[in-house]
Amino acid sequence: MFTNLTKLDLKDKQCMSDAGSPKLCMKALPGEGAERSCAYDGARVVLMPITDVAHLVHGPIACAGNSWDNRGARSSGSQLFRRGLTTDIMENDVIYGGEKKLKESILEIALRHNPKAIFVYATCVSSLIGDDVDKICKEAEVELTIPVIAVNCPGFLGDKNIGNRIAGEVLFDRVIGTAEGPNEKIPLSINLIGEYNIAGDIWGVIPDLKNLGITLQTAITGDAKFDDIRSAHKASLNVLICSKSLTNLVRKMEISYGIPFMEGSFYGIHDTSETLVNIAKALGDPDLLERTLVYVRKKEDETRKIIAGYKTLLENKQAILFTGGVKTWSMVSTLAELGINILAGGTQNSTPEDFQRMKELMDPSAQIIEDTSSAGFLKIIAEKKPDLIVAGGKTKYLAHKTRTPFLDINHGRKLPYAGYQGMVTFAETLTRTVLSPVWGLLKQEFPPKESEQDD
Amino acid sequence: MTNTRHYEGNPQKNSPALGATLAYLGVNGLLALLHGSQGCSSFIRLQLSRHYKEPIPLNSTALLEDSVIFGGWEHLKKGIAVAADKYKPQIIGVMSTGLTETFGDDMVSALSSLRSERPDLDDLPVVLASTPDYIGSMQEGYQRTVEALITTLAEHPTKTSEQPVSNSGAYSIEDHDLTIALLPGCHLTPGDVDELKEIIRQFGFRPITIPDLSISLDGHAELEAAPVVQGGTLLEDFRRLANAKACLSFGLSMEKSGEILKRTYEIPHFNFPSLTGLNVTDAFVLTLAKISGKPIPEKLLRQRSRLLDTLADYHDQLGGLKIAIALEMDLLYSLASCLVEVGSEIMVALAASQAGIHKLSLPIPIGVGDLETLEERAGKSTLIIANSNGRQAAGLLKLPHLRAGLPVFDRAGYPQKCWIGYEGTQQFLFDTLNSVS
Repeated sequence: MFTNLTKLDLKDKQCMSDAGSPKLCMKALPGEGAERSCAYDGARVVLMPITDVAHLVHGPIACAGNSWDNRGARSSGSQLFRRGLTTDIMENDVIYGGEKKLKESILEIALRHNPKAIFVYATCVSSLIGDDVDKICKEAEVELTIPVIAVNCPGFLGDKNIGNRIAGEVLFDRVIGTAEGPNEKIPLSINLIGEYNIAGDIWGVIPDLKNLGITLQTAITGDAKFDDIRSAHKASLNVLICSKSLTNLVRKMEISYGIPFMEGSFYGIHDTSETLVNIAKALGDPDLLERTLVYVRKKEDETRKIIAGYKTLLENKQAILFTGGVKTWSMVSTLAELGINILAGGTQNSTPEDFQRMKELMDPSAQIIEDTSSAGFLKIIAEKKPDLIVAGGKTKYLAHKTRTPFLDINHGRKLPYAGYQGMVTFAETLTRTVLSPVWGLLKQEFPPKESEQDD
Repeated sequence: MTNTRHYEGNPQKNSPALGATLAYLGVNGLLALLHGSQGCSSFIRLQLSRHYKEPIPLNSTALLEDSVIFGGWEHLKKGIAVAADKYKPQIIGVMSTGLTETFGDDMVSALSSLRSERPDLDDLPVVLASTPDYIGSMQEGYQRTVEALITTLAEHPTKTSEQPVSNSGAYSIEDHDLTIALLPGCHLTPGDVDELKEIIRQFGFRPITIPDLSISLDGHAELEAAPVVQGGTLLEDFRRLANAKACLSFGLSMEKSGEILKRTYEIPHFNFPSLTGLNVTDAFVLTLAKISGKPIPEKLLRQRSRLLDTLADYHDQLGGLKIAIALEMDLLYSLASCLVEVGSEIMVALAASQAGIHKLSLPIPIGVGDLETLEERAGKSTLIIANSNGRQAAGLLKLPHLRAGLPVFDRAGYPQKCWIGYEGTQQFLFDTLNSVS
């Protein structure tokens, strides 16, 4: 019943230990302090932003209890996805099995919450005790009128990336293409893949798409409705935002539904424009392309004018960049746009290609962070003494201990940074952080040396 | 009044291993190592760091499929060795998870096998706490870990000194050693623990606090960040427990740890299920006066008098409160019993787990339940007291929501808050009243 990992194209990437990339497919060593997460978390990250479905975690309290509603994905409609739902496996279930409890839970949730569908996540313990989540979901589906979809993603299958891919498989197998009605393509329509609407990111991009006459069929899965994902196969183009974790999904959609895909990013002026232009090109409409070229030039000028003041304040600051997936290379160019130099960069979840891309964008003297544990992170800060750190929330408070300005660009943040408007917000927030008077206060010596006291 | 549903909706529970991590975070120089898959530690780090706004040093044995088939024994040995070599901690604190408990990893034999292979690590204390995810909540994990810390790190007493001679009362203490062991439960914030130590010191005692979050998770700007716990109980302090003249434990969950110390060192033990409220603080202060043989300090009497005045000033508003409360058992009991004492009405009381539920009583029965149950039953209340995750219930019911417990991530300053003792009780009542006005 476990997910067949060989199906997930996990073997198609060679480890790249040469060319300056760290060994990315290396497993975390016990005790080394890698701050990575698990396959269950990876599946959750992709699927849980679907707003109008119930997400039921079949596991003990650790899997759901410590972590529900903690990712800042925003919804313009249903809030059902934020509800923490778990079978809360107890000792008796470990001994006698949890299938009956799971079945009852699914039925009760359907009755109480009236969801469009139910996703059921298997976890380490439920898999280990041999609960057949697939079977129970099928049984429940017979009794209910909604899809009940098993997600076999126990944490021990591996890193977050594997979970992302499993989620992609599930969406492809069970959701995409299941909408009723005609299947013809919607002209000039796209899906955003791997965009989770953290802090409302997507809402910073939709106005631009609208202005250009591009229809967003759905995002997979930010602010997504279940029915819109069912119709995702009607889009003319897939735009892969979170670079590699859902590659398997877009490849399969290309083969089955003839939807081409491209990569893109909406962080920073340059990448936003490039992505919009590339979308226009890929959609193959000459008129759209012309419109887009004019539009992005206008937006770029406008945005650069607004951020010019921030740029003067930030120019020549030295940063350390440490992020999750795609944002690493995209963030390099975003920071460059504000005149910030990168001393060192690293990431936990990117693929070797992401690394290469990032390295190409960075100054040749910039260092790649290889040791991604807290200890490694502290060491590099001590060595480089940056003016600012741009990273995910996991490292936020550690960075504060080094008394260095820090900006959270991951799911813990409260503000959207995507698109042109996001760039303004980003520049504004970054300036406020870097120029905050508190860093000076933190660095003051106290009590002052005697000579200063005499003054 | 137990849950009739099969699922938990909007759980208020955290995992026992999170409680274990919390206990370990109060021990200086310790590196916590979670025996499980990577996500287990990742979620705990995130949850604790968004509550405390602090980095959380926690390491993992990073189990994968092979360990599910062959067991995680070798991973655990390797994890301890790698953590010891790389981070040079003074102590390693291991906790288990649902995964490793389900396949039955024997942590004790793994450690003893490592000891025989790595004699150079002989002097490194390793604490093993059994905290399966499917038994209880944060409180149980914390409780089991404090017990493991005490039994592993405390030295067996060498009977050099005589037992305390009693002159005025049964528990009087010789002046030459005024060490008192304090065992705060996980319902106490670093701010609470700080106040606890302060009250004790006013009677001339020197506290050994296990674990001591008031100097590790109190949110201070450290001189240098480190990947192991900084602050917290010193290893030497565990070894000085034999000299303690009494042990005071706080929260029913800490009673057993206190009993272990009592048995081991033949010292008197007093358990205080709550320190929030007038009568419970009185009992605590009177106990301190009795075992110290000293009068109650002026400062405490003044604080008590201020609390009395507050009770008089606000008795009417306090009496009008109808409370729906969902928290871990020790905190639930502490806050709810204080509110009952001042005339408020408890409408719903939902504990996170079964622990202690039959030993402590409120005017209404305490049930076990999640925040969805709270949402279903809190309609007639005027105030919800729950952790930050209670905001969905409060939002739907349009009720004010006083944040308490863990996690509290959407209000500033909770970890530094003090709601115990006379002054802390006064603050708790102010916070309660301010949240409804």
